[in-house]
Formats: sequence, C-alpha cells, structure tokens
Amino acid sequence: MIALLVSLSGGLGAVLRFAMEYVLRRQHPVARPWATVAANVLGTAVAGYGAYRLVNTVDVHLRSIVLTGFCGGFTTFSSAFAIPALIAREHHPKYAVALLVATPVLCIAGFLLGMTLAH
Amino acid sequence: MANLSLTPRQLLRAFVAVFIGGALGTFLRDLALKIDAVPKVSHVCLGVAYFSSSGPTLCPKGTAPVWWFSDVPWTLLVINALGVFVVARLFRSSLRGRDANELTRLFVVTGFFGGFTSYSALFSDVAPIWHLSPIGAAIVVAAAMASGVGAAWLGLGKRTLSR
Repeated sequence: MIALLVSLSGGLGAVLRFAMEYVLRRQHPVARPWATVAANVLGTAVAGYGAYRLVNTVDVHLRSIVLTGFCGGFTTFSSAFAIPALIAREHHPKYAVALLVATPVLCIAGFLLGMTLAH
Repeated sequence: MANLSLTPRQLLRAFVAVFIGGALGTFLRDLALKIDAVPKVSHVCLGVAYFSSSGPTLCPKGTAPVWWFSDVPWTLLVINALGVFVVARLFRSSLRGRDANELTRLFVVTGFFGGFTSYSALFSDVAPIWHLSPIGAAIVVAAAMASGVGAAWLGLGKRTLSR
C-alpha cells in the first residue's frame, strides 16, 4: 500500500517536472534544460526540508512518500547528465558544462536551505 | 520539426505517459532500495539523532556509525549511473531525433528514467555521511558526478550525432 503511494507520488513529481519543461520550452526552446535544473534544485530543497522534518517513527511512511516518491520522481539524474552530454555533442560544450556544474551547486544550496527551514 | 505546443488532448496524453512512466520508475527504485535494505548504521539511529543536527553522538550506545564508508548509498549510485547510461544510449539509437514532446520519449525518458533515477535522494542519502565526515560526503557527491559524466559519455559513444 505504501509502495503504491510512493509510486503514485513519484508519477506526480515526474508530471510536475514535465509541466515545467513544457512551459519553458514553449517560451524559450533552447532554455528547456534549465527547467530540469530548476526541478532538480526545487526537489532537492524539498528533500532537505523533509529529511530533517520527518524524523519520528510516526513519520516513516510519510517520509517515504515525500522523499523516495515525490522528490525522487520530481528530480532526475538521468536527464541531468544525458541531456548535457547530448548538448556537448551538438557542439555547445559551454552550455553543457554550465548545466552540469549549476545543478549540484544549486542543489546543495537548496538542500541546506530546506534543512535550515526544517529546524 | 520541433513540436513546441501540444493540443489539450495531446497534453493530457503526455501527462498520462509521464505519470505512468514516472510511477513505474519510482516503484522500481523503491523496490531496489528495499531489497538492498542492509540496515545503514546511521539510519538505525536516524530518528534519534542524525537529523536533529546534533550529530552522531546522540545515537543510542552501540548504534553510532564508526566509518562513513558503511553508509555509501551504493544501490542509488548504481541506479543513477545505469539510468544515465541507458538514456544516453537511447538518445543515439531508438530515440534519436525524437522530439522532446514525443510520447515514447516522454514515457521512457521523462517518465520512467526520471522516476527511476533521483537527484534529491543523492543529497538526502549523503546528509547522514556529512554529519560523520564532510570529506566522505564530498567524495560520494564527486563520485556520483563522475559516474554520471562517465555513463553519459559511454552511453552516447563515439559516433557523432550531427546530422
């Protein structure tokens, strides 16, 4: 039952990420990968908040639903590396490096922000 | 070529494809992490101390982790690297030239592998390590980044994509 809720919230997170990518791409097609960066940063910030907020044993299921499910589905590791690799291959190495560096740096900042807000 | 705008009907289909793919990917990741459930030492006392910012010292006697290395999230690292490799390989094979709004790509890449892999879990799994050893945490994050770049490079292969 919990596994189902985890999966469904993962699907919801993925849809939210797609919605961000779709909207940005419609406005600025070239900027689409930045929507993926934004989803990863936002999702990691929520995970930082959740990881330090949902620590009691009563929260253990909610913790799985939020962290493993929603944040896991909202964020993506595969596109965060495969898309920049594709961009680098299409002769835009600076764009690729900017995406590859910005994601972890902003994610760490986001995680710390979420952690701070949870205390 | 680029299909920037979808009709409401197409958009609904896209949402369904991403939702089902994302739910399946998340289910598999959750399952893999559960099968792997070798109890992480720091997770044993997670509720007690770990995430209360006081560090590992508040863990009950005997549960305090001794070495950060025992908390490395190996399964997640493998899941993430595998996801990058497969997506990159698909980009040069069956999904080559597919528009980002194309249903198959949405289901497989945005949905399934987006749900299967996780960027946020890397940091929530590294956090317990960080409380033990900031250097250890830096090593794990750096290793994850290196595995991502390596997997993408291997997945895309040497063949040029320029058409």
